[in-house]
Amino acid sequence: MNPPFSVNTHSLTRRDMLKRCGGGAGILGLAALLSDEFGLVSLPANTFRRGASSQPLLAKPAHFQPSAKRVIWIFVNGGPSQVDTWDYKPRLEKYDGNTLEGFDKFTGFFANQVGGIMKSPFHFTPRGQCGKMVSEIFPHLGRHVDRMAFIHSGFTESNNHSPALFMMNCGQARMGLPSLGSWVSYGLGSGNRNLPGFVVMSDPKGRGLPKGHASNWSAGFLPGPFQGTWFRPNGQPIQNLERRQGVTAEDQRENLDFLAKLNRAHLENQPHEAELNARIESFELAFRMQVAAPEALDLKHEPESIRNLYGMDQQPCRHFAEQCLMARRLVERDVRFVQIYSGGNENQKSWDGHSDIKGNHSGFALETDQPIAGLLTDLENRGLLDETLVVWGGEFGRLPVAQKASKPGRDHNPHCFTTWLAGGGIKGGVSYGESDEIGHKAEVNKVHVNDLHATILHLLGLDHEKLTYTYNSRKFRLTDVGGRVIQKILL
Amino acid sequence: MSFSKLNVLLFGIVLTLSCLNAEPGEITANQFKDKSSKTGSSRSYAFQPLKPIQPPELDNPIHAKNDLDRFILKRLNGLGIIQNSFASSSTLIRRAFLDLTGMPPGRNELAMFDDLASDRKWSELIDHLLVSDHYGERSARYWMDIARFAESSGFEHDTDRPLAYHYRDFLIQAFNMDMPWDRMVRLQIAGDELAPDEPLARSATGFLAAGVFPTQLTEAEFEQARYDELDDMVQTIGVAFLGFSFGCARCHDHKFDPVTSRDYYRLASAFVTTVKSEQRVNVHSDVFQKSFLQWETKRLKLMKAVETANDDQLESVNKKLAAHDKSKPAEGKLPALICSDGVKPLSHHADGRGYPHFYPHVYFLKRGDVDQKGDAVSPGYPNALKQNGKEESHWVTKISENSRIPGRRAALSRWLTDANNGAGQLLARVIVNRIWQQHFGTGLVATPNNFGNQGALPTHPHLLDWLANDLIDHGWKLKRLHKLIMTSSVYRLSSNAGNPSGHSLDPENNHHWRFSPRRLEAEAIRDSMLAVSGLLDRQMYGPGSLNENMRRRSIYYTIKRSGLIPMMQVFDWPEHLGSIGKRTSTTTAPQALSLMNGPLVEYCADAIAKKYGPENSESLPHAITVVWLRILNRKPVDIELQASADFIIRRAETGIDKEQPLLSAFTEFCRALLSSNEFLYLP
Repeated sequence: MNPPFSVNTHSLTRRDMLKRCGGGAGILGLAALLSDEFGLVSLPANTFRRGASSQPLLAKPAHFQPSAKRVIWIFVNGGPSQVDTWDYKPRLEKYDGNTLEGFDKFTGFFANQVGGIMKSPFHFTPRGQCGKMVSEIFPHLGRHVDRMAFIHSGFTESNNHSPALFMMNCGQARMGLPSLGSWVSYGLGSGNRNLPGFVVMSDPKGRGLPKGHASNWSAGFLPGPFQGTWFRPNGQPIQNLERRQGVTAEDQRENLDFLAKLNRAHLENQPHEAELNARIESFELAFRMQVAAPEALDLKHEPESIRNLYGMDQQPCRHFAEQCLMARRLVERDVRFVQIYSGGNENQKSWDGHSDIKGNHSGFALETDQPIAGLLTDLENRGLLDETLVVWGGEFGRLPVAQKASKPGRDHNPHCFTTWLAGGGIKGGVSYGESDEIGHKAEVNKVHVNDLHATILHLLGLDHEKLTYTYNSRKFRLTDVGGRVIQKILL
Repeated sequence: MSFSKLNVLLFGIVLTLSCLNAEPGEITANQFKDKSSKTGSSRSYAFQPLKPIQPPELDNPIHAKNDLDRFILKRLNGLGIIQNSFASSSTLIRRAFLDLTGMPPGRNELAMFDDLASDRKWSELIDHLLVSDHYGERSARYWMDIARFAESSGFEHDTDRPLAYHYRDFLIQAFNMDMPWDRMVRLQIAGDELAPDEPLARSATGFLAAGVFPTQLTEAEFEQARYDELDDMVQTIGVAFLGFSFGCARCHDHKFDPVTSRDYYRLASAFVTTVKSEQRVNVHSDVFQKSFLQWETKRLKLMKAVETANDDQLESVNKKLAAHDKSKPAEGKLPALICSDGVKPLSHHADGRGYPHFYPHVYFLKRGDVDQKGDAVSPGYPNALKQNGKEESHWVTKISENSRIPGRRAALSRWLTDANNGAGQLLARVIVNRIWQQHFGTGLVATPNNFGNQGALPTHPHLLDWLANDLIDHGWKLKRLHKLIMTSSVYRLSSNAGNPSGHSLDPENNHHWRFSPRRLEAEAIRDSMLAVSGLLDRQMYGPGSLNENMRRRSIYYTIKRSGLIPMMQVFDWPEHLGSIGKRTSTTTAPQALSLMNGPLVEYCADAIAKKYGPENSESLPHAITVVWLRILNRKPVDIELQASADFIIRRAETGIDKEQPLLSAFTEFCRALLSSNEFLYLP
């Protein structure tokens, strides 16, 4: 055996080193030895060039001129009650306590706890120029109603959280389909090569993930890179984001270049394996993310005025304020689609107010009202709101009848819910569609989830009927066989 | 809200497969899409009896290694696609090892099977792998996804189930001993009834106990929770064994398939008095010995405590010792989480408030509502899955009147596995398809948990039926089925996608003109890294661990539903809530970050570099070659050798480790190999 190599070798030239490595030079050949770049001439010229091949996340042109470049979706998880938030129903007071004749007790989840009609525990007042009646739980958001378009006639196809979440996120009430954010990433690519195109933030207060978990931001059958990147709610948002101790960016760059060479040589033999290429790309994205993500998410340098605008100085809403501020920093860096879940999984851990609707909704409103209002103000002040679409909505609504409990709640309602949109391309201060007199079912200009998706894609410059992906011989689209753009809320 | 509702969602995506070259009698995609199927007038292929099928004749049978190939080649010939040639020996050995054991071959095995060109040698290799204990671990892990196996109860509290691992150990042993599949199925449903004295039989019923169950229950929820528990059992049995979702029938007659709501409740009633329980079962001798040793160690400590105790302490210490003596493991048995009837139920938070654990009858519930009870039902099976006019009594075996064993599950398990008169033919189709999926990445039916009218159609229906018949005719032996598939020529094809006829006519390779490479699952990635770096602790069986940095195979991670192992999750570990027939396989930046910065690759690369690096080698090229062979199971070609040496030397010059620059650079080289696509994919 040759002498060990643990002598101080840092002053050795590569040529010396090779000699000491025991006769390897003969095999290695001079060209490679002397070349600073990788002079492996027998492989096609582009094989080893970094990032030369197809890059799925590269920005792509829209179908037509978009009015929004990016989306922040505040996902009001658990199913917010329309009649206690934005869909004012004075008739509920009149009928309070009466039995709702003909009510199908299987509408919600708990068929055996159906109570009488229940008025909202909250007071409503007219807000803004448009005079929109707004629940007292949104003192801050009430100031922004002239920027919002309300859809009061939304309905969905499931009364259960996970299928309804899949419906709202993926267009159909079943598991395994691509989410809206993935479709947008697929359609438009990422605006920022150093950050994921589609980011998801979930509850940081230990209340869990939305039901169905990662399926809600899945890429389904679309290529993997279009999947949402879930930011871990505590600690480092992205696991393993920090380089190993003592490894510099330059070290890592060299390591990854070598890995890419191995991978591209491997790909040479199987040029049709798109997934292999995506994995090569994933290392590049990961490399850039190590720098870009901490910088984008670092709120330390935000001035106190901005931090307080979002409510970071308020204990109940600090966590959501941070997430909203991060969302602004992300869209500022052209991240295409950001989704923030308010609330954890179910019952009292989210807006799923089966019992004590008053305590539940006032609590979650307190967590989110100022942060979302701050976000709208901040986006507006920076001139970002015109090109950023902000969506507020959950997976379904809640019933106008009580769910019996010592403190009554409301059960799930797939027949009616309210969603609002603001910013990029949205007409402010308008309400579209109507529910019936007690907010039980959507009645006028009903809006299916596919319609909502078609509208959001339209604002981004994408035709929902043209945004298709062929999978196992069938063309799939987000809106399946439905979808109709709601023109009346567009500028 | 019950997690079991989720099961209803676990339909795969409806796939409209191009049924080119439809054979006579084959259901076409158009028929499949026909709305008339909703009326139940056209019965799904899955419910039709297996037909005796002869492998097709070929004009030129030279490429067919066995009868299985005839089906594949007949289709390809008809399409005008030329099949690829065989993969190289170095690819084949890697493919076979990763496929059957979840780890690449070691050095001795590489030497033993260096040339796989002959059928004899290839056959020897398959035999070698099928007798490996790692085969059972690999097969068990596949089945654990399907069985929604986890070791905690889920819901808000996610209470631990520390004795649940016995079911996992049952699976490993049963697969390794090649227990016939029909028997394995029967034991999972009724092992306690059918063979209470047989080692393993009672552990098998851990299958029924693996579902989620709430820890918090109000009185109003008691009965509903019990129906949810029954639903979890019936639903999992349906999708896991029959590829059929009975769960929808809980609330309404099946919209698409011939199962009524009444069928559902009759199935559920087989479990009317079945409860989760902790019972002493036979365990593997290693597990017993280890447990006994732990018991003895603790006893010695207590003895010492008795010796040194003062008068005040003596009583309590003596009590402890007495209690400990009562828990002495004996007769090779340990307590395990199983399901049975007439036993003490697993304790529950609500016991103090009178939670009954079960009710004396199962009622037909209108729309699944416990407040809308119809009549009490007795066990029965869907008409569509009973043949030759047989009634339920056909599967009942008389049990003595004194027995605490009602025999309802035993009867159900006989019906389920009865290939002549019961559901056995569908059972065979479903498992054959799962095994096909294990080997090729996608099943002949692309929706392994859904053989109903909402699922995908088989790409090769005749092959599916021929394989199912073959399995039944040969005693339901899975190892034989593995070997049949792996000794075909279709399994040995090169993955090269450049074949012009294949690439243009069937880019998705639905017809098997090449082998489709696929990314390894989380377990196989991690286990392979530990294996090639020599760090793998091969200890089998026994309690698992939640320590992410443990060195045992990944199947020995404790599956805590609310505390899944992050490294496994990032590589698409499932949620373990409902049966998963096929995992998703994603490609994400967090996976890359895990390989770049995570601890696993770090310590594996370190170990390899220290052991096989240039300091312990005659030369750098030699060290590169040794490691390359170890990690990727082939020698580097010159150009790769050049590239590697160049990289190592450059990194040794520029790296920050001035103490051991070469070792440090070599470690980075090992890390790159461990992170490479070639390592991460089954070739």
